[in-house]
Amino acid sequence: MKNSIATLALAGSLASALATIAAPAAFAAENSEKCYGVAMKGQNDCAAGKHDCAGKSTMDFDKGSFKLVPAGTCTSMKTPDGHGMLMPA
Amino acid sequence: MSLDTQTRFAVALTDPAAPVPKGLASWTGSQPERRFAVYRNNVIAALTGALAARFPASQQIVGEAFFAAMAADFIRAHPPRSPLLLSYGDDFAEFVERFEPAKAIAYLPDVIRLEAARGKAYHAADVASLDAATLAALSPARLADLVFVPHPSLCVLRSPHPVVTIWAMNAGEAALQPIANWAAEDAMVIRPHLIVEVRRLPPGGAAFLQALAQGTCLAAAVDIATEDADAFDLSANLAGALQSGAFIAFR
Repeated sequence: MKNSIATLALAGSLASALATIAAPAAFAAENSEKCYGVAMKGQNDCAAGKHDCAGKSTMDFDKGSFKLVPAGTCTSMKTPDGHGMLMPA
Repeated sequence: MSLDTQTRFAVALTDPAAPVPKGLASWTGSQPERRFAVYRNNVIAALTGALAARFPASQQIVGEAFFAAMAADFIRAHPPRSPLLLSYGDDFAEFVERFEPAKAIAYLPDVIRLEAARGKAYHAADVASLDAATLAALSPARLADLVFVPHPSLCVLRSPHPVVTIWAMNAGEAALQPIANWAAEDAMVIRPHLIVEVRRLPPGGAAFLQALAQGTCLAAAVDIATEDADAFDLSANLAGALQSGAFIAFR
């Protein structure tokens, strides 16, 4: 791998890579995005605003009651091999 | 509180089947059981909130109710080991992988891994990325042995699922629509400045970056990437890596 051909190939690739970077609107791996929501918000509030403090504590989805739900967006992502479907487990 | 009391108290908090710790008293006169139940609920609700904040796209995919129930099971099996909530859920993906009700959503663990990597990148050290221009001055003879130092926020993820597309659609980065091309996707997570970026990697890109990040020299990394994917394009991948700030130095 240290022969001159490999060195030339590397040098050529690097040169063209550097040229690409210098040009505007260059190669970018797709899908760059803005980040939000990564910052942790104050999670330590009492019950995180979702449950009132009283009486909810016995709420506990057991395995049985789970089978119903997943009502998210994944079912709307149709795929050739059916990965988007959410069948009850 | 003795250590023993503390331990029993902590165990009972996340285990609903455990008896209420001995010696609890309540000044209001209502049973300590009811007071302790409120405490139990708050612990689960707060930690569920922490997981939902860290894995919003995953929550979006399965829905709030499913996510909350799955999180509660995880919290009971893996209570926090550190007071830092920002690292809580590092092993959530492995848990979900074995979580029976989520088996139908085979890609969910990889979406969780991607979100976990984003959180880590967000909290990684701030370091300026390598200025690509410094490479131009190198003698060609040195290139083959070049070793790069990865940016502390860099994470490369490989998935047999279109994980970047699925994540982007559920994080509000892309419109939700049918995925016509259900193909494997590799992702790069990086935070060169203030913003965490997720990039879809071209063929061989993940193998290339992983090799370089482990300290493999450039020539060997190129061999590994070419082995991984015939279509590996060295020039495009070098440009992509340098441009996204994946490295901070070379030697």
